[in-house]
Amino acid sequence: MSATMQGSAVGDLPPLDESLYRRRRRARGLREDVTSFWFLLPILAVFVVLFLVPLVQTAYFSFTDFNGYSMDMNWVGLDNYRKVFTDPSTLQGLGFTILYAIVVMVGVTVLAIPLAVILNRKFVGRDFVRSVFFFFSVPSLAIMGMVWKYIFSPMKTGVVNSVLAAFGLGPVPWLSNNSLAKFCVIFIAIWAQIGWHATLYLAFLQAIPADLYEQATVDGANRWQQFAHITLPQLMPGIVTSTFLLMSGGLKVYDLPFTMTKGGPGYSTYTVTQSIIQQGIGQSQYGIGSALAVLFFIATGIVVFLQMGISNLISRRFE
Amino acid sequence: MGTKASSVTAAAPKGMNFTTRKRIGSAVTSVVMILVALVCAVPLWYILINTFKTIPDMSANPLGLPREWTVKNYVGAFETVPVFRSLLNTLIVTFFAVVIQVLVGALAAYGMILRKSTFTAAVGAILMVAFVVPSQTTLIPLYRMEANAHLVNTLAGLVIIYLGGAVFCYFLIVGYMRSLPFELIEAARIDGAGPLRIFWSIVMPLIRPILTTVVVFQTMGTWNDFMNANVFLSSSELRTIVLQVYNAVGQFSTDWPSFMTITVLALLPVFVFFIFCQKWIVSGLVAGSVKG
Repeated sequence: MSATMQGSAVGDLPPLDESLYRRRRRARGLREDVTSFWFLLPILAVFVVLFLVPLVQTAYFSFTDFNGYSMDMNWVGLDNYRKVFTDPSTLQGLGFTILYAIVVMVGVTVLAIPLAVILNRKFVGRDFVRSVFFFFSVPSLAIMGMVWKYIFSPMKTGVVNSVLAAFGLGPVPWLSNNSLAKFCVIFIAIWAQIGWHATLYLAFLQAIPADLYEQATVDGANRWQQFAHITLPQLMPGIVTSTFLLMSGGLKVYDLPFTMTKGGPGYSTYTVTQSIIQQGIGQSQYGIGSALAVLFFIATGIVVFLQMGISNLISRRFE
Repeated sequence: MGTKASSVTAAAPKGMNFTTRKRIGSAVTSVVMILVALVCAVPLWYILINTFKTIPDMSANPLGLPREWTVKNYVGAFETVPVFRSLLNTLIVTFFAVVIQVLVGALAAYGMILRKSTFTAAVGAILMVAFVVPSQTTLIPLYRMEANAHLVNTLAGLVIIYLGGAVFCYFLIVGYMRSLPFELIEAARIDGAGPLRIFWSIVMPLIRPILTTVVVFQTMGTWNDFMNANVFLSSSELRTIVLQVYNAVGQFSTDWPSFMTITVLALLPVFVFFIFCQKWIVSGLVAGSVKG
């Protein structure tokens, strides 16, 4: 602490010689520029090697018929982009990815906020319930996809179907029906992420000053009014963070549908990422895979910025 | 619902004694929430309990307790699948990837707050773009690049791929760092401490809350990653634990209990890690998001 006082004391001294002071300051500025550069160097290296070079390559390959092996590639212009937009499997992948991202985002948000509000109240067994919900977010979605595949097994031994059989209901072809498979994947994604996002909201709820509620109670506000006029506005930063994570994660989804259904049945749970990997690495159609990657980058960028803009607008309205 | 709305300050509750009513309300919440939690946890129970059953027992009663407890699945799992090897692979990759990422991110964050210039502004903008780039976009060129450098199918190659996460670390850390009292750094400089020393012995301890959050976040992401591991690793002895589970689906397609056993062995270390870290995660989240 004494160091701080000493520092500010030195800073308050009036400069004796104006030009000397300025020269010294400029020298120090330069030195700080150099220091700052050294600290930024590692991340710049990461940026160049892992982002810039690959991005430029992806953009370049997207205009060629490069197959990944032979270097005699031809410039094909927008051909790959045309193929992407006319390939039914890719379009289905795009459709499911968007559906997944939006439904999961809305579903998790709508369920996690009330859950967090309840977990913030006092009741017996609260710590237990909190821990259970928190631990859902720990296992990898890839592993959970594989486990749920067994649970939703169309055979009679599948858990869901054996429970249904106990009520005299016939086996449901969960993962072999197009719409049901979509439903199952989205349902599990919501199930797996509620706990984590509720934990996030809980952290924000605990940061709301208690006197806001006391004041509101004195003013005669009921519980619903308190929720709408205090809790929700105070949660806005949390909602911005949570929906941002859900949206950007949702658009990149790959693990869960891939391990559960491999994108099937047909292409009903196919995702953009799976399509990029399949075309670019699996089938050596680098050009098409790259075109898809470029489009995906642009689309993600637009969605992310739109979402940030909207969240900012909403949170400003609440302030 | 209406009755629960009253609080300590509300006067003269009708009919029933106020505290009694509050107690009943909390009891109802308890029962409902514990039930909901248990129902949600059924899949985890399902994985665990079936590792102690034989195949016919599991098909006959998928959710109940085993008729006869058996540890054969565990013995079999260790015999057929190199569980320890895979866990070690995952541990090595996660450790190096997370440590380097967080360090690079923290160094960059300090470099950014140290000085405001056109250069740092440009770097900030560049990193913003990198933050938005989905890893899928760069996957194909990165694969080619690593193939040329003979890094495909090595753990080091996988670690390098994960270093892209440094950008995410940077964003979480820089927000927190901006809220630090800058006088402390200034004072240390006047006392003659070099930039690296200031970074290491003053800045790093001060940002410990956000560092914990970032470490936990990245550990979770790296340990659980499937996409990169699946693309960049091909030989069986290098498999991470998630890949091993994925592989077990094919290997034990009809032997569900064995598959569940591998799953339990894969999940166990992460659960233990999180039991130890739970407190820090929650407190760190607030610190990170409020100030970030």
